[in-house]
Amino acid sequence: MKYICINCGYIYDPTLGDPTGGIEPGTAFEDLPEDWTCPLCYVTKDNFDPID
Amino acid sequence: MKASVSSLYQAVELSQPIPPLLIGERCNTNGSKKFREMLLADDFDGCLQVALDQEAKGAQVLDICTAYAGRDEKADLKRFFTMLIGSVKLPLMIDSTQPDCIAEILKIYPGRCIINSINLEDGGANLHKVCTLAKKYGAAVVALTINKAGMAMTTAEKVETAQQIYDLAVGEHGLRPQDLLFDPLTFTIGSGDESLHDAAIQTLNAITQIKKQMPGVRTLLGVSNISFGLRPAARKVLNSVFLHEAVEAGLDAAIVDTAKVIPLAQIANEDRDVCSDLIYNRQKNADKNALMAFIDYFEEKGDTDDQDESQQDIAAEKLLGQMVLKSNKDGLDDVLTILLGRYKPLDIINTLLVPAMRYVGELFGKGEILLPFVLQSAEVMKKAVAFLEPFMDKADASDKLKVLLATVQGDVHDIGKNLVDIILTNNGYKVYNIGIKVPAETIIEKAKEYDVDIIGLSGLLVKSAIVMQDSMPQYKEAGLKTPILLGGAALTPKFVAESCVPGHAEPVVYCADAFAGLKAVREFEQGKLEPTVFETKTPATARKTTKNVEIDTNVPVPQTPFLGKRIVTDVDPTALYGYVNEQALFRGRWGYRRGKMTAEEYAMLTKDTVIPIYEKLKERGITENLIQPKVTYGYFKCHSKDESVYVQDGETTYEFAFPRQEFAPNLCIADFFKPETNGGDVAGFFVVTIGEKIGQIAKELFEKDAYHDYLMLHGFGVEVTDALAEYWHEQMRIEMGISAQRPDDVTGFVTQQYQGSRYGFGYPACPDLGAHEHVFKLLDPEDIGVTLTENMEMVPEQTTSAIVAHHPQAKYFAV
Repeated sequence: MKYICINCGYIYDPTLGDPTGGIEPGTAFEDLPEDWTCPLCYVTKDNFDPID
Repeated sequence: MKASVSSLYQAVELSQPIPPLLIGERCNTNGSKKFREMLLADDFDGCLQVALDQEAKGAQVLDICTAYAGRDEKADLKRFFTMLIGSVKLPLMIDSTQPDCIAEILKIYPGRCIINSINLEDGGANLHKVCTLAKKYGAAVVALTINKAGMAMTTAEKVETAQQIYDLAVGEHGLRPQDLLFDPLTFTIGSGDESLHDAAIQTLNAITQIKKQMPGVRTLLGVSNISFGLRPAARKVLNSVFLHEAVEAGLDAAIVDTAKVIPLAQIANEDRDVCSDLIYNRQKNADKNALMAFIDYFEEKGDTDDQDESQQDIAAEKLLGQMVLKSNKDGLDDVLTILLGRYKPLDIINTLLVPAMRYVGELFGKGEILLPFVLQSAEVMKKAVAFLEPFMDKADASDKLKVLLATVQGDVHDIGKNLVDIILTNNGYKVYNIGIKVPAETIIEKAKEYDVDIIGLSGLLVKSAIVMQDSMPQYKEAGLKTPILLGGAALTPKFVAESCVPGHAEPVVYCADAFAGLKAVREFEQGKLEPTVFETKTPATARKTTKNVEIDTNVPVPQTPFLGKRIVTDVDPTALYGYVNEQALFRGRWGYRRGKMTAEEYAMLTKDTVIPIYEKLKERGITENLIQPKVTYGYFKCHSKDESVYVQDGETTYEFAFPRQEFAPNLCIADFFKPETNGGDVAGFFVVTIGEKIGQIAKELFEKDAYHDYLMLHGFGVEVTDALAEYWHEQMRIEMGISAQRPDDVTGFVTQQYQGSRYGFGYPACPDLGAHEHVFKLLDPEDIGVTLTENMEMVPEQTTSAIVAHHPQAKYFAV
């Protein structure tokens, strides 16, 4: 499932991962490290909402 | 697992937010002499009146029983239900042991009702018939813990019987667990019968056990049996205390005479203790057991069960809680007027309003309600308190816990602080909100003047976190004995624990949001407040090391239409709406998060609630001239050296220093501008504002306690300001001729699907607000009404600034 950052609107797509944050494609949102932050606005994981 | 029942008019949740669900017991030929006599006299209008009276006195469902030896139960039931269906708004409960009577009513009932009841007394024949009906018509069912051996007396028997019924009803008949209401039976503890001394304990334990063992099911009790055989005045008190204990044990619904339930808050502690001793069979006096002690106690007290008291109902108490929860202000003054006849104003606040707000806070914490709704509840709370205040003694207010709130020096952001103010004020604390940009000296002075118990400091900026850190020793030196709560976007628990806690002698506590602030204040009250500690968690899962990136130092420098600055004041506000980041506005700024909702539920909320608010604000933005876009911007020759960009304006050179990432790919904003050796570069700057009007109106809304509208308007202002920055950045790309790549939608803008980047001052890649001094020299934002605070922050708040890089590799990154 994709997740959206409530602070800036960035969408975490598990099929893409987060290359700038060293997150491999195929990583589910739930499996992101606890200290992972939004690559655009740097807020923490609890500021993400599930979408679709 | 929500389950509700319904009438033609309304649905009622079986699990009430403030339990129990109250089921009126008076329309019962076996329980009410008055009702029985009217039925026997075929006075159905009179019977209907009994129903309507209960509705008026706070019942949420009505139990209906017309069984009486010698009468045609089915005919009576059908005639009475036909009247009730059209006249009573509440959902109904069919109280009959006859499957054919139940079937008759289910056929005509227009909503979803409750069947009362099934059991295993006959081994399951009736249960089979009734469950078949319940499944067919989708009714909820009350199940009594009665088996072939009779009524279950012990917890174990009650739970075992419940499990047997569960297996049949859910396992064989396919009813859902949440459609079952188990009644573990109440026996009197007032008769002196030795075998019943611990009957209340058995029942209370069974409630807890049943809910644990059979997740999803509800429990129900007929409460008044507990006190059978005792005097009326004593019964009312005992029934009410027992009901409270049952709810604590997990009870969902109670069949009661709603007119006779006394709110716990209204029962004297001593009365309550005597009742609890009887319920829990605690003998405190060597000479007499709990029952004797109970009887003697109420004997001595005398019978105070007069007419006035019997007319008391819990409707108003319950209604007030509901009004807070559902943020409904209609008729609030009437309800409060009724309550003022029964309680002191302070008691209304402390025993009714505050618990309701606390409950709202808990729901928010669990993600079951959203911030805008919390604020609406707080508005009801505030209005209620304002109504009660004139009736209160001065002394009433003085023993409240006192909290001082301030946004720290140099920081103008007050939404976070004001949300804390709203939540604390409306949870019964006295808040001194002394505003924004407050120096530590003033905070110390005011803390002493108001003799506050706690200080709360807020600040959005990175700089504000430093201000907090630096000021801690000042508070300590000033001898303040108050703990300090810290909140703000740039703070982390780690920073607070390592950099702020050591500076002050009292606990310093990180608060992630307003409710964390409330939690901390409560912990302080309970003497449990501890300073924030930061424990390094187990190391995060290994990540790929990002490779170093080569930044091209030979990209062509775009032609800018001019060098120097220009001012633009004719931006059409409607042009900005297409750039508004609606997701960030709805979810982030406004707090309309998806939480536990399904995608469909969230889509509904967005469509029915959020979009209408947004559309209205967009319209007001234009018609009321709330958005007055003004821009000052420019292009300047520049070159980079190491971590700095040197910007040339005529004869003057301004140095902008930027931090470099301490980890790969070790980026720095300066990398995106060419050094002198490569011919130098051009840098763009802008300051944009939508003016001060939204800020002014938002302030007025906060001051008149329109919390919800305040949050909406403030958030709208923040995002429209950002939309203006997005819009203007695009205009600059067009002017520079680098606009070939244009994002398809707002998400495209968010993720920078365009050439170059804008870096806002005060954000991680360029955190130094001091750069604003240079920006102001370059662009003269005073000409569009923007000024700087002593801490280099721009006023009005609805203003934003940036340095614009055209370099194709320039994107956002964290430092």
